[in-house]
Amino acid sequence: MEKFRRARRRFLQTLTLAVIGLPLWRFLAPEAPAGQAVLRLKKAEVPPDGALVFRQARVAVLRAGEDIYALSLACTHLGCTVTVTPTELVCPCHGSAFARTGEALRGPASAPLTRLRVLGEGDELVVMS
Amino acid sequence: MARDFVHHLFPRVVLAGNLRVSYTFCLGGLAFTTLLLLAISGLLLLFYYRPSAEGAFASILYLESSVFGGEYLRRLHRLSSHALLILVFLHTLRVVLTGAYRPPRQMNWVIGFTLLCLTVFEAYTGYLLPMDQLALWATRTGMELLAAAPGGELLRRLLVPDEVGGPMSLLRFYALHIALVPLAIFTLCLLHFFRIRRQKGVLPYL
Repeated sequence: MEKFRRARRRFLQTLTLAVIGLPLWRFLAPEAPAGQAVLRLKKAEVPPDGALVFRQARVAVLRAGEDIYALSLACTHLGCTVTVTPTELVCPCHGSAFARTGEALRGPASAPLTRLRVLGEGDELVVMS
Repeated sequence: MARDFVHHLFPRVVLAGNLRVSYTFCLGGLAFTTLLLLAISGLLLLFYYRPSAEGAFASILYLESSVFGGEYLRRLHRLSSHALLILVFLHTLRVVLTGAYRPPRQMNWVIGFTLLCLTVFEAYTGYLLPMDQLALWATRTGMELLAAAPGGELLRRLLVPDEVGGPMSLLRFYALHIALVPLAIFTLCLLHFFRIRRQKGVLPYL
């Protein structure tokens, strides 16, 4: 009898904690607001086989042939803003280097730079977070 | 120790007549419960509110649109604040109508009345914080009213050094709303309850 009651009490305590704790956790850890426009630009502004760098927004918009894509400039190692050079993207903090497509060439970073979604709206481009 | 505190919080003996609901309608207790609810919901709102003139309204829009339970919590906080004002007012009315302000309980009447004023002031300072149109203009109106009262101009300069909705005044209202006034309210509440306890609850002459 005693044991049964203890188990029930513990069950109720856990249940109460979960009922309070889970919503509290969800309240305190919000999902990042999905799909916010980070930046808008004219399609023609992106030079052929070149790049436009937006240091404030930490985004580079690159063109390779007809393909236009956006890379986040936050280094995947520790989050410094990488510098765009004509051949590659180099992080000034610890020397990680990325190819123009985004994949890591030299460490310490091993993951490629995050590609951002680019939506075309007529001759305008919208870069989404 | 916590258990001892709770044990001593309530009197050992309570007169049966004092527990009649129709005498107090438990208005003071309801008001205090609402105050606790406000404190908890307010504490959670602190995690998202930004007390700056530009960021305040945006932070509230973010809270309502992107945070789980954010809209619910904010509405709970606002609704409880209305409820608290009504409950405190009714409680005061009850005290007046039953003559509970008479000696030997006159000090508790003074404390209670101060609590009523502080509650109104707390609600007023909270009203500006969302920084929407209603908040801004209502607070501005209130400040004009204050300026018309004798000595109000000095108080106004203390509360609103720049202008209603300016960065300094918003920060002052914020500090008053989340720290100073609640602290005073809770301290006075404890004093209020201590005196009730010491004067053995509802006195038998009624």
